[in-house]
Amino acid sequence: MLLSTHSQTVDDNYVLVASLDNVRNLSNILKAITFKDHAIFNATPNGLKVTVEDSKCLQANAFIQAEIFQEFTIKEDSVGFQINLTVLLDCLTIFGGSTVAGVTTALRMCYNGYGYPLTLFLEEGGVVTVCKINTQEPEEPIDFEFCSTNVTNKVILQSESLKEAFSELDMTSEVLQITMSPSQPYFRLSTFGNSGNAHYDYPKDSDMMELFQCSKTQTNRYRMSLLKPSTKALALSCKVSVRTDSRGFLSLQYLVRNDDGQICFVEYYCCPDEEAEEEY
Amino acid sequence: MNCIIEGNGVKVFGKAIHALARIGDELWLDPMVKGLAVRSVNSAHSAYACFCFSPLFFQRYCPNTGPAGACGTVKCKLVMKSLLPLFRCLATIERNVDCCQISINLPDNRVIFQFHCRHGITKTHNLGFQESEALQAVFSSHLCPNVLKAQARLLGDMVMHFPVSQEEITLSMSPLRVNLKNYYEEDKDRIKAMHTKMSLDPSEFDYFQVGVDSDITFCLKELRGFLSFAESYGLPVSVHFGAAGKPVSFSMEDMVLEANVVLATLVDPESKTLSQATDVPPPAALRCGGVGEPMEKDGDAAPPQAQRFPSGNELVVSSQGSPVTGGAAPPCVTRTEGFDRLRTPPQAHAGPGITAPDSSEVHSLLFGAMSCEQGFGRSSVLPSLVCSSDTEDDGRL
Repeated sequence: MLLSTHSQTVDDNYVLVASLDNVRNLSNILKAITFKDHAIFNATPNGLKVTVEDSKCLQANAFIQAEIFQEFTIKEDSVGFQINLTVLLDCLTIFGGSTVAGVTTALRMCYNGYGYPLTLFLEEGGVVTVCKINTQEPEEPIDFEFCSTNVTNKVILQSESLKEAFSELDMTSEVLQITMSPSQPYFRLSTFGNSGNAHYDYPKDSDMMELFQCSKTQTNRYRMSLLKPSTKALALSCKVSVRTDSRGFLSLQYLVRNDDGQICFVEYYCCPDEEAEEEY
Repeated sequence: MNCIIEGNGVKVFGKAIHALARIGDELWLDPMVKGLAVRSVNSAHSAYACFCFSPLFFQRYCPNTGPAGACGTVKCKLVMKSLLPLFRCLATIERNVDCCQISINLPDNRVIFQFHCRHGITKTHNLGFQESEALQAVFSSHLCPNVLKAQARLLGDMVMHFPVSQEEITLSMSPLRVNLKNYYEEDKDRIKAMHTKMSLDPSEFDYFQVGVDSDITFCLKELRGFLSFAESYGLPVSVHFGAAGKPVSFSMEDMVLEANVVLATLVDPESKTLSQATDVPPPAALRCGGVGEPMEKDGDAAPPQAQRFPSGNELVVSSQGSPVTGGAAPPCVTRTEGFDRLRTPPQAHAGPGITAPDSSEVHSLLFGAMSCEQGFGRSSVLPSLVCSSDTEDDGRL
């Protein structure tokens, strides 16, 4: 293979090498979290985790397990760097976004370690592009301290039902209010916009509701501007789990199937908005 | 008011909202015993549309509001921008919505649209509204000398040839032909513009009646929404009109629904079209739009001088006499069915060159010119003319 012979001579210097026959299996999932320019990459033997944060209130993580890659070699326990995600995506999609049947772009991603750029070899139809993107010191991602033991309410919905709701959300509303309750309305999304209020109710026995575990009635508001980017992840996903903990922190976990049917995860954590008076 | 629209009806209702959104920025909701009327008018008050859904259209229909209907029928006005997004994607509605419940919550000042969707999902929208007098234009289409009736598809095919940006078109009718061509105001535009003209034989129409040869110019843009609705609903459309300057009405009806659009038409004394057989000012009989019009008997002079609108407030010289009356007295136009309330004192027929009424008169003319809408509003309730609560139209009627 063209790419492997090229890099064989300098293989020893790389601390991370990851290869994909179809770069879309990485680029598509990264698009779901591209709402800020910079991302923190963290690679472990388990795979790749990419983190994007916004104003210390929102965090998105994309997980691409090692099994997704055709080759995934890592020489250290943990390799981390920060990189411009927009630039990275531009490079990953350098051969264009359109998919022609049977033609895929192959990727070989190599990283020498601290201080070195991230090198990308992309090949399609015999044409090879080499990209070197500068890396920065990785910041420590925020720990939202969201743990399963603290979860008060959890639902798992089929994404199809939420996609429509999210695409229709009244964007003149500053907040998205999420109500989860063991009794009516069970699971409700509400907006308070210029023209009035809107409520989207999902009953616990809906066939779109795969799991319903709500122990306590909770209503929390989140800034619409923070949650809106999660719509991209929702669009890619087939299922989504919505969890809130006792502090009102929100965890959205999206199950995404890539082109080859393999499963990846994207999750969003969001802080609740400051307590404002609740309107009906 | 409390009503439930089932299944496919929601899509029909949504399509009506789309058509109304092409006309104006506000929607008047008027629950009547006879049915639910939704209406809109444009800002120049030269285009009006009304869709009236009879109780048969609904799974359930109660026009009164309040506990046990104690508050009677509440009429209200909604902002189109708030309402249209609820019905934006008709394909999705068709796929997902089982039924839609519309109700008026008076204490909270909300109109509630509740969509019951597949998978048990419920979407509730509480929209703020303003209580308002009913908006209603009355138009005696049965008094119009010219009538065309055709399947919506034919009309759609006719207007399809005009670019979407085309503002106005001219419909010319004579016993031999029906012509449709685009309209340009300024001579300088004629050089750059593409001119399109369609000519149809009377036999193409389901019904063809020509009482007076005329050319009417009206706004196409505002009509498109209605035509699109008519095509998807599949009913024939009737067109009623008279001489230039009188409004034109496009209407359709069946057991569950009546819809119509009334547009003001341009008065153009300069036009030397084929069908303009009369001098300017035309003799009284013809001016009032038809041979043997009864309305002339009383000597009420002023025929309708509905003007056209679009960009800014243009003044168009009227060929049909009657000086501006100014002040509060609106010119009376036609007298029908005993509704005399809009009479004016008889006026001298002025010749051309009199400055036409300004747009404030347009509004009053359009709505004052017409009699009770057939089948609706024929009750003794005073038909409210365009929104007495309209703050921008002070001193008008």
